[in-house]
Amino acid sequence: MAVVPRVLCRRFLQNFSSPRFIHTSLKVYAERLFTEKHEWVKLDGKIGTIGISDYAQEALGDVVYAQLPDVNTEIKQKEECGALESVKAASEIYSPVSGKVIEKNEAVEETPSLINTSCYDKGWLFKLELANESELKELMTETKYTEFLKTQESH
Amino acid sequence: MAFMQHFCNRITSKLTRLNARSLSRANITVENDLKKSVLISQSTDIYTNLALEEWIFKNFNLEKHHILMLWKNDPCIVIGRNQNPWSEINFSDLQSLKEGGVNIARRSSSGETVYHDHGNLNLTFFTPKEKYDLKKNNQVVVKSIFREFGCSVDIGMDNHLLLGKKKQVSNNAAKLGRENAYHNISLRVQCSKINRNVALQKRDVHIQSSTKHSVPLSEMMNLCEETPDVTVSTLVKAVGWEFLRTKGISGKDGGMELANKQQGFHMVNPTEYWFPGIQEIRDKYNSWEWRYGKTPKFTIAQNFAVPTGLLHTNAGASASLKVTMTVENGRISDITIFVPQELNSLGFTGEAKVFHGLKGKKFTAQAFEDLEDSLGSLLNEKDRFFTECLKQVMTNA
Repeated sequence: MAVVPRVLCRRFLQNFSSPRFIHTSLKVYAERLFTEKHEWVKLDGKIGTIGISDYAQEALGDVVYAQLPDVNTEIKQKEECGALESVKAASEIYSPVSGKVIEKNEAVEETPSLINTSCYDKGWLFKLELANESELKELMTETKYTEFLKTQESH
Repeated sequence: MAFMQHFCNRITSKLTRLNARSLSRANITVENDLKKSVLISQSTDIYTNLALEEWIFKNFNLEKHHILMLWKNDPCIVIGRNQNPWSEINFSDLQSLKEGGVNIARRSSSGETVYHDHGNLNLTFFTPKEKYDLKKNNQVVVKSIFREFGCSVDIGMDNHLLLGKKKQVSNNAAKLGRENAYHNISLRVQCSKINRNVALQKRDVHIQSSTKHSVPLSEMMNLCEETPDVTVSTLVKAVGWEFLRTKGISGKDGGMELANKQQGFHMVNPTEYWFPGIQEIRDKYNSWEWRYGKTPKFTIAQNFAVPTGLLHTNAGASASLKVTMTVENGRISDITIFVPQELNSLGFTGEAKVFHGLKGKKFTAQAFEDLEDSLGSLLNEKDRFFTECLKQVMTNA
Protein backbone atom coordinates (compact mmCIF):
# COMPACT_ATOMS: atom_id res chain seq x y z
CA MET A 1 0.00 0.00 0.00
CA ALA A 2 2.74 2.37 0.89
CA VAL A 3 4.51 1.92 -2.48
CA VAL A 4 1.76 3.34 -4.64
CA PRO A 5 1.56 6.79 -3.05
CA ARG A 6 5.36 7.09 -3.16
CA VAL A 7 5.46 6.37 -6.89
CA LEU A 8 2.64 8.82 -7.47
CA CYS A 9 4.40 11.37 -5.40
CA ARG A 10 7.66 10.96 -7.41
CA ARG A 11 5.78 11.30 -10.67
CA PHE A 12 4.13 14.39 -9.40
CA LEU A 13 7.50 15.86 -8.48
CA GLN A 14 9.12 14.89 -11.78
CA ASN A 15 6.31 16.43 -13.74
CA PHE A 16 5.93 19.64 -11.87
CA SER A 17 9.10 20.43 -10.07
CA SER A 18 12.13 21.24 -12.18
CA PRO A 19 14.67 21.20 -9.30
CA ARG A 20 13.92 17.53 -8.94
CA PHE A 21 15.07 17.00 -12.53
CA ILE A 22 18.39 18.68 -11.97
CA HIS A 23 18.93 16.54 -8.94
CA THR A 24 18.35 13.33 -10.89
CA SER A 25 20.71 14.32 -13.68
CA LEU A 26 23.44 15.11 -11.17
CA LYS A 27 23.01 11.64 -9.72
CA VAL A 28 23.67 10.05 -13.12
CA TYR A 29 27.19 11.51 -13.21
CA ALA A 30 27.80 11.23 -9.50
CA GLU A 31 30.43 8.53 -9.85
CA ARG A 32 32.52 10.41 -12.42
CA LEU A 33 35.64 12.07 -11.07
CA PHE A 34 37.18 15.12 -12.74
CA THR A 35 40.54 16.87 -13.02
CA GLU A 36 41.16 20.61 -13.22
CA LYS A 37 42.27 20.01 -16.79
CA HIS A 38 38.79 18.78 -17.72
CA GLU A 39 39.35 15.04 -17.99
CA TRP A 40 37.02 12.54 -16.30
CA VAL A 41 37.32 8.97 -15.06
CA LYS A 42 34.47 6.62 -14.19
CA LEU A 43 35.23 3.59 -12.08
CA ASP A 44 33.97 0.04 -12.31
CA GLY A 45 36.01 -1.97 -9.84
CA LYS A 46 39.63 -1.52 -10.86
CA ILE A 47 38.71 -0.49 -14.39
CA GLY A 48 38.55 3.22 -15.15
CA THR A 49 36.89 4.69 -18.25
CA ILE A 50 38.47 7.97 -19.36
CA GLY A 51 37.01 10.87 -21.34
CA ILE A 52 36.98 14.64 -21.61
CA SER A 53 34.37 16.93 -20.08
CA ASP A 54 31.69 18.92 -21.83
CA TYR A 55 33.65 22.11 -21.12
CA ALA A 56 36.73 20.60 -22.82
CA GLN A 57 34.90 19.40 -25.92
CA GLU A 58 33.28 22.80 -26.32
CA ALA A 59 36.65 24.55 -26.00
CA LEU A 60 38.13 22.23 -28.64
CA GLY A 61 35.43 22.68 -31.23
CA ASP A 62 34.67 20.01 -33.82
CA VAL A 63 37.03 17.08 -33.32
CA VAL A 64 38.19 15.80 -36.71
CA TYR A 65 40.72 13.16 -35.70
CA ALA A 66 41.32 11.11 -32.56
CA GLN A 67 44.57 9.28 -31.88
CA LEU A 68 44.07 7.06 -28.83
CA PRO A 69 46.58 4.99 -26.84
CA ASP A 70 46.93 1.36 -27.97
CA VAL A 71 45.85 -1.56 -25.79
CA ASN A 72 48.54 -2.68 -23.32
CA THR A 73 50.22 0.74 -23.22
CA GLU A 74 51.32 1.66 -19.69
CA ILE A 75 50.19 5.20 -18.96
CA LYS A 76 51.35 7.47 -16.16
CA GLN A 77 49.08 10.03 -14.57
CA LYS A 78 49.25 13.48 -16.25
CA GLU A 79 51.42 12.12 -19.05
CA GLU A 80 50.58 12.63 -22.72
CA CYS A 81 48.95 9.50 -24.14
CA GLY A 82 47.26 10.57 -27.38
CA ALA A 83 45.93 13.56 -29.28
CA LEU A 84 42.67 15.03 -30.48
CA GLU A 85 42.74 17.25 -33.54
CA SER A 86 39.99 19.78 -33.87
CA VAL A 87 39.42 22.55 -36.36
CA LYS A 88 41.33 24.81 -33.96
CA ALA A 89 44.38 22.82 -32.81
CA ALA A 90 45.97 19.48 -32.02
CA SER A 91 45.33 18.88 -28.36
CA GLU A 92 47.20 16.36 -26.26
CA ILE A 93 45.25 13.78 -24.24
CA TYR A 94 46.32 13.23 -20.62
CA SER A 95 45.15 10.49 -18.34
CA PRO A 96 43.78 11.49 -14.92
CA VAL A 97 45.12 8.19 -13.48
CA SER A 98 47.98 5.75 -14.11
CA GLY A 99 47.43 2.25 -15.42
CA LYS A 100 47.48 -0.18 -18.34
CA VAL A 101 45.18 0.40 -21.30
CA ILE A 102 42.75 -2.51 -21.77
CA GLU A 103 40.49 -1.03 -24.44
CA LYS A 104 40.28 2.02 -26.69
CA ASN A 105 37.07 3.36 -28.15
CA GLU A 106 37.33 2.41 -31.79
CA ALA A 107 33.98 4.05 -32.52
CA VAL A 108 35.56 7.40 -31.61
CA GLU A 109 38.52 6.72 -33.91
CA GLU A 110 36.05 6.05 -36.73
CA THR A 111 33.70 8.91 -35.84
CA PRO A 112 35.60 11.54 -33.81
CA SER A 113 32.53 13.80 -33.63
CA LEU A 114 31.13 11.42 -30.96
CA ILE A 115 33.36 13.36 -28.55
CA ASN A 116 31.36 16.49 -29.31
CA THR A 117 27.93 14.90 -29.34
CA SER A 118 28.30 12.49 -26.43
CA CYS A 119 31.40 13.25 -24.36
CA TYR A 120 30.15 11.41 -21.25
CA ASP A 121 28.73 8.35 -22.97
CA LYS A 122 29.56 7.21 -26.52
CA GLY A 123 32.50 9.58 -26.73
CA TRP A 124 34.63 7.92 -24.02
CA LEU A 125 38.28 7.57 -25.06
CA PHE A 126 39.89 4.53 -23.43
CA LYS A 127 39.66 2.13 -20.47
CA LEU A 128 42.51 1.25 -18.19
CA GLU A 129 43.30 -0.97 -15.25
CA LEU A 130 44.23 1.37 -12.42
CA ALA A 131 47.77 1.09 -11.11
CA ASN A 132 47.41 3.36 -8.11
CA GLU A 133 43.98 3.97 -6.59
CA SER A 134 45.29 6.65 -4.25
CA GLU A 135 45.54 8.96 -7.28
CA LEU A 136 41.75 9.20 -7.20
CA LYS A 137 41.91 11.26 -4.01
CA GLU A 138 43.20 14.28 -5.95
CA LEU A 139 40.18 14.27 -8.26
CA MET A 140 36.93 16.24 -7.93
CA THR A 141 33.37 14.97 -7.79
CA GLU A 142 30.88 16.23 -10.36
CA THR A 143 29.54 18.79 -7.87
CA LYS A 144 33.00 20.10 -7.00
CA TYR A 145 33.95 20.22 -10.67
CA THR A 146 30.85 22.27 -11.48
CA GLU A 147 31.83 24.72 -8.72
CA PHE A 148 35.39 24.78 -10.04
CA LEU A 149 34.09 25.69 -13.51
CA LYS A 150 32.17 28.63 -12.02
CA THR A 151 35.33 30.01 -10.39
CA GLN A 152 37.14 29.64 -13.74
CA GLU A 153 34.46 31.61 -15.56
CA SER A 154 34.67 34.52 -13.17
CA HIS A 155 38.34 35.06 -14.10
CA MET B 1 72.55 24.93 -20.51
CA ALA B 2 73.81 28.27 -19.24
CA PHE B 3 71.30 29.99 -21.46
CA MET B 4 68.42 27.99 -19.98
CA GLN B 5 69.62 28.57 -16.45
CA HIS B 6 69.75 32.27 -17.11
CA PHE B 7 66.11 32.17 -18.18
CA CYS B 8 65.02 30.03 -15.24
CA ASN B 9 66.79 32.31 -12.75
CA ARG B 10 65.07 35.34 -14.18
CA ILE B 11 61.67 33.68 -13.96
CA THR B 12 62.26 32.49 -10.40
CA SER B 13 63.27 35.96 -9.26
CA LYS B 14 60.15 37.39 -10.89
CA LEU B 15 57.99 34.80 -9.13
CA THR B 16 59.50 35.53 -5.72
CA ARG B 17 58.81 39.20 -6.18
CA LEU B 18 55.25 38.37 -7.18
CA ASN B 19 54.58 36.28 -4.10
CA ALA B 20 55.81 39.05 -1.87
CA ARG B 21 53.13 41.33 -3.22
CA SER B 22 49.46 41.22 -2.44
CA LEU B 23 47.63 38.12 -3.61
CA SER B 24 44.63 39.79 -5.13
CA ARG B 25 45.91 41.29 -8.31
CA ALA B 26 44.15 42.28 -11.46
CA ASN B 27 45.19 41.23 -14.94
CA ILE B 28 46.83 44.58 -15.42
CA THR B 29 49.47 43.86 -12.78
CA VAL B 30 50.05 40.40 -14.25
CA GLU B 31 50.51 42.08 -17.59
CA ASN B 32 53.13 44.43 -16.18
CA ASP B 33 55.09 41.50 -14.79
CA LEU B 34 54.94 39.58 -18.02
CA LYS B 35 58.18 39.31 -19.93
CA LYS B 36 58.61 38.60 -23.60
CA SER B 37 61.49 37.19 -25.61
CA VAL B 38 62.13 36.68 -29.29
CA LEU B 39 64.19 33.58 -30.09
CA ILE B 40 65.70 33.34 -33.56
CA SER B 41 66.74 29.82 -34.47
CA GLN B 42 70.13 29.56 -36.15
CA SER B 43 69.22 26.24 -37.70
CA THR B 44 67.59 25.84 -41.12
CA ASP B 45 67.02 22.12 -40.66
CA ILE B 46 63.30 21.37 -40.42
CA TYR B 47 63.72 18.44 -38.03
CA THR B 48 65.91 20.47 -35.66
CA ASN B 49 63.48 23.39 -35.70
CA LEU B 50 60.49 21.14 -35.00
CA ALA B 51 62.51 19.62 -32.15
CA LEU B 52 63.27 23.10 -30.75
CA GLU B 53 59.57 23.99 -30.93
CA GLU B 54 58.70 20.84 -28.98
CA TRP B 55 61.54 21.41 -26.50
CA ILE B 56 60.30 24.89 -25.60
CA PHE B 57 56.69 23.66 -25.43
CA LYS B 58 57.61 20.85 -23.03
CA ASN B 59 60.20 22.56 -20.84
CA PHE B 60 59.51 26.27 -20.49
CA ASN B 61 57.42 27.81 -17.75
CA LEU B 62 55.47 30.32 -19.81
CA GLU B 63 53.27 31.68 -17.06
CA LYS B 64 55.19 34.94 -16.76
CA HIS B 65 57.19 34.75 -19.92
CA HIS B 66 55.80 34.62 -23.45
CA ILE B 67 58.04 33.57 -26.32
CA LEU B 68 58.09 34.14 -30.04
CA MET B 69 60.32 31.75 -31.97
CA LEU B 70 61.30 32.81 -35.50
CA TRP B 71 62.72 30.25 -37.91
CA LYS B 72 63.15 29.32 -41.55
CA ASN B 73 63.98 26.09 -43.31
CA ASP B 74 65.86 24.64 -46.24
CA PRO B 75 63.41 23.41 -48.90
CA CYS B 76 61.00 20.99 -47.29
CA ILE B 77 57.39 19.91 -47.12
CA VAL B 78 55.72 19.90 -43.72
CA ILE B 79 52.48 18.00 -43.26
CA GLY B 80 50.04 18.35 -40.35
CA ARG B 81 50.01 15.94 -37.40
CA ASN B 82 47.33 13.66 -38.84
CA GLN B 83 47.73 14.16 -42.56
CA ASN B 84 48.53 11.61 -45.23
CA PRO B 85 51.85 12.29 -47.05
CA TRP B 86 50.76 10.16 -50.02
CA SER B 87 47.69 12.26 -50.64
CA GLU B 88 49.45 15.61 -50.04
CA ILE B 89 52.84 15.26 -51.69
CA ASN B 90 53.77 14.81 -55.32
CA PHE B 91 56.47 12.21 -54.64
CA SER B 92 57.16 11.34 -58.27
CA ASP B 93 58.44 14.82 -59.19
CA LEU B 94 60.24 15.72 -55.97
CA GLN B 95 63.66 14.63 -57.23
CA SER B 96 63.59 17.29 -59.93
CA LEU B 97 63.46 20.10 -57.36
CA LYS B 98 66.75 19.78 -55.58
CA GLU B 99 69.71 17.47 -55.53
CA GLY B 100 69.09 14.95 -52.80
CA GLY B 101 65.41 15.80 -52.81
CA VAL B 102 63.29 17.92 -50.57
CA ASN B 103 62.96 16.98 -46.90
CA ILE B 104 59.59 15.69 -45.82
CA ALA B 105 58.48 16.30 -42.24
CA ARG B 106 55.42 15.75 -40.07
CA ARG B 107 54.87 18.29 -37.30
CA SER B 108 53.09 17.67 -33.98
CA SER B 109 50.62 20.47 -34.51
CA SER B 110 47.39 20.56 -36.47
CA GLY B 111 46.76 22.14 -39.84
CA GLU B 112 47.56 21.75 -43.48
CA THR B 113 50.55 20.89 -45.64
CA VAL B 114 53.01 23.69 -46.38
CA TYR B 115 56.05 24.04 -48.63
CA HIS B 116 58.97 25.87 -46.98
CA ASP B 117 62.16 27.41 -48.32
CA HIS B 118 64.24 30.43 -47.31
CA GLY B 119 61.46 32.71 -48.55
CA ASN B 120 59.10 31.47 -45.88
CA LEU B 121 59.10 32.77 -42.31
CA ASN B 122 57.81 30.64 -39.43
CA LEU B 123 56.56 32.34 -36.31
CA THR B 124 55.71 30.24 -33.26
CA PHE B 125 53.97 32.01 -30.37
CA PHE B 126 54.31 30.19 -27.04
CA THR B 127 51.87 31.02 -24.22
CA PRO B 128 50.16 29.25 -21.33
CA LYS B 129 47.15 27.27 -22.58
CA GLU B 130 44.65 29.79 -21.13
CA LYS B 131 46.30 32.65 -23.00
CA TYR B 132 46.29 30.84 -26.37
CA ASP B 133 44.84 33.34 -28.86
CA LEU B 134 45.21 32.95 -32.63
CA LYS B 135 43.74 36.32 -33.40
CA LYS B 136 46.01 38.26 -31.08
CA ASN B 137 49.09 36.62 -32.60
CA ASN B 138 47.91 37.36 -36.11
CA GLN B 139 47.32 40.99 -35.14
CA VAL B 140 50.99 41.30 -34.12
CA VAL B 141 51.97 40.18 -37.62
CA VAL B 142 49.43 42.44 -39.34
CA LYS B 143 50.55 45.51 -37.34
CA SER B 144 54.23 44.84 -37.97
CA ILE B 145 53.71 44.56 -41.73
CA PHE B 146 51.73 47.77 -41.76
CA ARG B 147 54.19 49.68 -39.56
CA GLU B 148 57.28 48.57 -41.51
CA PHE B 149 56.03 48.30 -45.08
CA GLY B 150 52.76 50.25 -45.10
CA CYS B 151 50.97 47.23 -46.50
CA SER B 152 47.62 46.20 -45.12
CA VAL B 153 46.92 42.54 -44.55
CA ASP B 154 43.56 41.22 -43.35
CA ILE B 155 42.72 38.42 -40.95
CA GLY B 156 40.27 36.02 -42.57
CA MET B 157 37.40 34.11 -41.04
CA ASP B 158 39.55 31.11 -40.17
CA ASN B 159 42.43 33.31 -38.94
CA HIS B 160 44.51 33.12 -42.11
CA LEU B 161 46.30 36.26 -43.23
CA LEU B 162 44.89 37.56 -46.49
CA LEU B 163 46.11 39.93 -49.20
CA GLY B 164 43.43 41.76 -51.13
CA LYS B 165 40.85 40.15 -48.82
CA LYS B 166 41.09 36.76 -50.53
CA LYS B 167 44.58 35.46 -51.33
CA GLN B 168 46.05 33.55 -48.43
CA VAL B 169 49.64 34.39 -47.36
CA SER B 170 49.78 32.29 -44.20
CA ASN B 171 48.83 28.93 -42.71
CA ASN B 172 48.08 28.21 -39.07
CA ALA B 173 49.12 25.25 -36.98
CA ALA B 174 48.52 24.88 -33.27
CA LYS B 175 49.11 22.56 -30.39
CA LEU B 176 47.59 22.58 -26.91
CA GLY B 177 49.19 20.76 -24.00
CA ARG B 178 48.31 20.48 -20.33
CA GLU B 179 49.96 23.76 -19.33
CA ASN B 180 51.44 25.25 -22.49
CA ALA B 181 50.27 25.95 -25.99
CA TYR B 182 51.77 27.18 -29.22
CA HIS B 183 50.49 28.69 -32.41
CA ASN B 184 52.60 28.57 -35.54
CA ILE B 185 52.12 30.94 -38.44
CA SER B 186 53.81 29.91 -41.65
CA LEU B 187 54.15 33.15 -43.63
CA ARG B 188 54.90 33.17 -47.35
CA VAL B 189 57.21 36.11 -48.03
CA GLN B 190 59.17 35.20 -51.18
CA CYS B 191 58.53 31.51 -51.38
CA SER B 192 59.21 29.73 -54.70
CA LYS B 193 55.80 29.21 -56.23
CA ILE B 194 57.11 26.92 -58.96
CA ASN B 195 58.78 24.55 -56.52
CA ARG B 196 55.78 24.64 -54.22
CA ASN B 197 53.45 23.72 -57.03
CA VAL B 198 55.67 20.88 -58.20
CA ALA B 199 55.98 19.56 -54.64
CA LEU B 200 52.33 19.74 -53.69
CA GLN B 201 50.31 19.55 -56.87
CA LYS B 202 48.86 16.06 -56.96
CA ARG B 203 47.69 14.10 -59.90
CA ASP B 204 44.45 12.28 -59.40
CA VAL B 205 45.20 9.68 -56.74
CA HIS B 206 42.37 7.63 -55.30
CA ILE B 207 43.10 7.69 -51.61
CA GLN B 208 40.30 7.32 -49.13
CA SER B 209 40.83 8.30 -45.53
CA SER B 210 39.37 10.46 -42.81
CA THR B 211 42.23 12.97 -42.95
CA LYS B 212 41.96 16.62 -43.81
CA HIS B 213 43.06 17.92 -47.21
CA SER B 214 44.86 21.17 -47.83
CA VAL B 215 43.40 24.23 -49.57
CA PRO B 216 43.98 24.68 -53.33
CA LEU B 217 47.35 26.22 -54.16
CA SER B 218 45.77 28.80 -56.45
CA GLU B 219 44.31 30.51 -53.39
CA MET B 220 47.78 31.30 -52.07
CA MET B 221 50.09 34.27 -52.56
CA ASN B 222 53.47 35.67 -51.47
CA LEU B 223 53.73 38.84 -49.42
CA CYS B 224 56.35 40.24 -51.84
CA GLU B 225 53.80 40.30 -54.64
CA GLU B 226 52.11 43.20 -52.86
CA THR B 227 55.17 44.73 -51.16
CA PRO B 228 58.26 44.12 -53.34
CA ASP B 229 60.75 45.38 -50.70
CA VAL B 230 59.74 42.85 -48.05
CA THR B 231 62.31 40.16 -47.22
CA VAL B 232 62.42 37.46 -44.56
CA SER B 233 65.22 39.23 -42.65
CA THR B 234 63.48 42.64 -42.57
CA LEU B 235 60.32 40.90 -41.45
CA VAL B 236 62.16 39.10 -38.63
CA LYS B 237 63.09 42.47 -37.13
CA ALA B 238 59.70 44.04 -37.75
CA VAL B 239 57.65 41.21 -36.24
CA GLY B 240 60.11 40.76 -33.36
CA TRP B 241 59.87 44.41 -32.30
CA GLU B 242 56.10 44.45 -32.73
CA PHE B 243 55.80 41.39 -30.46
CA LEU B 244 57.97 43.04 -27.80
CA ARG B 245 56.02 46.31 -27.82
CA THR B 246 52.62 44.58 -27.61
CA LYS B 247 51.18 44.02 -24.14
CA GLY B 248 50.86 40.32 -23.38
CA ILE B 249 47.29 40.19 -22.10
CA SER B 250 45.38 43.11 -23.61
CA GLY B 251 47.29 43.15 -26.89
CA LYS B 252 47.59 46.96 -26.63
CA ASP B 253 50.59 48.81 -27.98
CA GLY B 254 53.15 49.68 -25.29
CA GLY B 255 55.47 51.51 -27.68
CA MET B 256 59.26 51.25 -27.77
CA GLU B 257 59.34 52.04 -24.06
CA LEU B 258 57.76 48.65 -23.36
CA ALA B 259 59.80 46.90 -26.03
CA ASN B 260 63.03 48.07 -24.42
CA LYS B 261 61.98 46.66 -21.05
CA GLN B 262 61.58 43.15 -22.49
CA GLN B 263 64.12 40.36 -22.72
CA GLY B 264 64.82 41.25 -26.34
CA PHE B 265 66.16 39.18 -29.22
CA HIS B 266 68.17 35.99 -28.71
CA MET B 267 69.95 34.03 -31.42
CA VAL B 268 69.61 30.42 -30.36
CA ASN B 269 71.65 27.49 -31.49
CA PRO B 270 69.41 24.42 -31.11
CA THR B 271 72.08 21.96 -30.03
CA GLU B 272 72.27 19.38 -27.26
CA TYR B 273 74.57 21.73 -25.34
CA TRP B 274 71.91 24.45 -25.03
CA PHE B 275 68.83 22.25 -25.02
CA PRO B 276 69.57 18.89 -23.39
CA GLY B 277 67.52 16.12 -24.99
CA ILE B 278 66.86 17.97 -28.25
CA GLN B 279 68.79 15.44 -30.34
CA GLU B 280 66.45 12.65 -29.29
CA ILE B 281 63.44 14.74 -30.30
CA ARG B 282 65.08 15.52 -33.65
CA ASP B 283 65.68 11.79 -34.24
CA LYS B 284 61.98 11.19 -33.69
CA TYR B 285 60.96 13.82 -36.27
CA ASN B 286 63.46 12.42 -38.76
CA SER B 287 62.34 8.79 -38.38
CA TRP B 288 60.25 6.84 -40.88
CA GLU B 289 58.00 5.72 -37.99
CA TRP B 290 57.01 9.33 -37.27
CA ARG B 291 56.88 10.75 -40.79
CA TYR B 292 55.09 7.89 -42.54
CA GLY B 293 54.19 5.44 -39.76
CA LYS B 294 51.91 8.00 -38.09
CA THR B 295 49.66 8.21 -41.15
CA PRO B 296 46.04 7.41 -40.30
CA LYS B 297 44.71 4.23 -41.91
CA PHE B 298 43.80 4.67 -45.58
CA THR B 299 42.99 2.74 -48.74
CA ILE B 300 44.28 3.41 -52.22
CA ALA B 301 42.78 2.05 -55.43
CA GLN B 302 43.86 1.99 -59.05
CA ASN B 303 42.66 0.41 -62.31
CA PHE B 304 44.96 -1.08 -64.94
CA ALA B 305 44.22 -2.03 -68.51
CA VAL B 306 45.32 -5.60 -69.13
CA PRO B 307 47.77 -5.82 -72.07
CA THR B 308 46.12 -7.48 -75.02
CA GLY B 309 49.00 -9.96 -75.24
CA LEU B 310 47.78 -11.56 -72.05
CA LEU B 311 44.24 -11.97 -73.31
CA HIS B 312 43.90 -14.54 -76.03
CA THR B 313 40.12 -14.65 -75.95
CA ASN B 314 38.23 -12.03 -77.94
CA ALA B 315 41.30 -10.25 -79.21
CA GLY B 316 40.65 -6.53 -79.11
CA ALA B 317 38.37 -6.60 -76.08
CA SER B 318 39.61 -4.55 -73.15
CA ALA B 319 39.72 -5.71 -69.58
CA SER B 320 40.89 -3.96 -66.46
CA LEU B 321 42.42 -5.11 -63.24
CA LYS B 322 41.57 -3.23 -60.05
CA VAL B 323 43.99 -3.09 -57.15
CA THR B 324 42.95 -1.86 -53.70
CA MET B 325 45.45 -1.61 -50.86
CA THR B 326 44.83 -0.82 -47.21
CA VAL B 327 47.69 0.87 -45.38
CA GLU B 328 47.88 1.00 -41.58
CA ASN B 329 50.74 2.68 -39.69
CA GLY B 330 52.41 3.24 -43.05
CA ARG B 331 52.53 -0.51 -43.74
CA ILE B 332 50.47 -2.57 -46.18
CA SER B 333 47.83 -4.41 -44.18
CA ASP B 334 45.55 -5.70 -46.90
CA ILE B 335 45.43 -6.06 -50.68
CA THR B 336 42.48 -7.00 -52.83
CA ILE B 337 42.64 -7.47 -56.56
CA PHE B 338 39.69 -7.63 -58.84
CA VAL B 339 40.78 -9.97 -61.61
CA PRO B 340 38.76 -9.72 -64.82
CA GLN B 341 37.24 -12.90 -66.14
CA GLU B 342 39.38 -12.88 -69.28
CA LEU B 343 42.57 -13.01 -67.28
CA ASN B 344 41.29 -15.38 -64.65
CA SER B 345 40.38 -18.04 -67.16
CA LEU B 346 44.04 -18.33 -68.11
CA GLY B 347 44.88 -19.40 -64.60
CA PHE B 348 46.66 -16.97 -62.34
CA THR B 349 49.17 -18.52 -59.98
CA GLY B 350 51.25 -15.80 -58.41
CA GLU B 351 48.49 -14.02 -56.51
CA ALA B 352 48.95 -15.65 -53.12
CA LYS B 353 52.72 -15.28 -53.16
CA VAL B 354 52.54 -11.65 -54.15
CA PHE B 355 50.07 -10.90 -51.38
CA HIS B 356 51.85 -12.66 -48.55
CA GLY B 357 55.17 -11.12 -49.39
CA LEU B 358 53.77 -7.60 -49.21
CA LYS B 359 51.69 -7.66 -46.04
CA GLY B 360 53.36 -5.81 -43.21
CA LYS B 361 55.88 -4.18 -45.57
CA LYS B 362 56.38 -0.41 -45.61
CA PHE B 363 54.26 1.28 -48.26
CA THR B 364 57.22 2.17 -50.51
CA ALA B 365 58.35 1.22 -54.00
CA GLN B 366 61.27 -0.59 -52.37
CA ALA B 367 58.87 -3.17 -50.90
CA PHE B 368 57.85 -4.19 -54.41
CA GLU B 369 61.40 -4.33 -55.71
CA ASP B 370 62.42 -6.61 -52.85
CA LEU B 371 59.46 -8.80 -53.58
CA GLU B 372 60.34 -9.13 -57.24
CA ASP B 373 63.89 -10.07 -56.32
CA SER B 374 62.77 -12.77 -53.92
CA LEU B 375 60.21 -14.25 -56.26
CA GLY B 376 62.54 -13.91 -59.22
CA SER B 377 62.15 -16.76 -61.64
CA LEU B 378 58.96 -17.99 -59.98
CA LEU B 379 57.05 -15.27 -61.70
CA ASN B 380 55.70 -15.81 -65.16
CA GLU B 381 54.61 -13.10 -67.54
CA LYS B 382 51.14 -12.72 -66.06
CA ASP B 383 52.41 -12.59 -62.50
CA ARG B 384 54.85 -9.94 -63.52
CA PHE B 385 51.98 -7.86 -64.80
CA PHE B 386 50.28 -8.19 -61.42
CA THR B 387 53.34 -7.10 -59.45
CA GLU B 388 53.92 -4.28 -61.88
CA CYS B 389 50.35 -3.07 -61.22
CA LEU B 390 50.88 -3.22 -57.44
CA LYS B 391 54.12 -1.30 -57.78
CA GLN B 392 52.47 1.38 -59.85
CA VAL B 393 49.85 1.94 -57.18
CA MET B 394 52.73 2.78 -54.92
CA THR B 395 54.87 4.88 -57.22
CA ASN B 396 51.94 6.93 -58.49
CA ALA B 397 50.90 7.81 -54.96
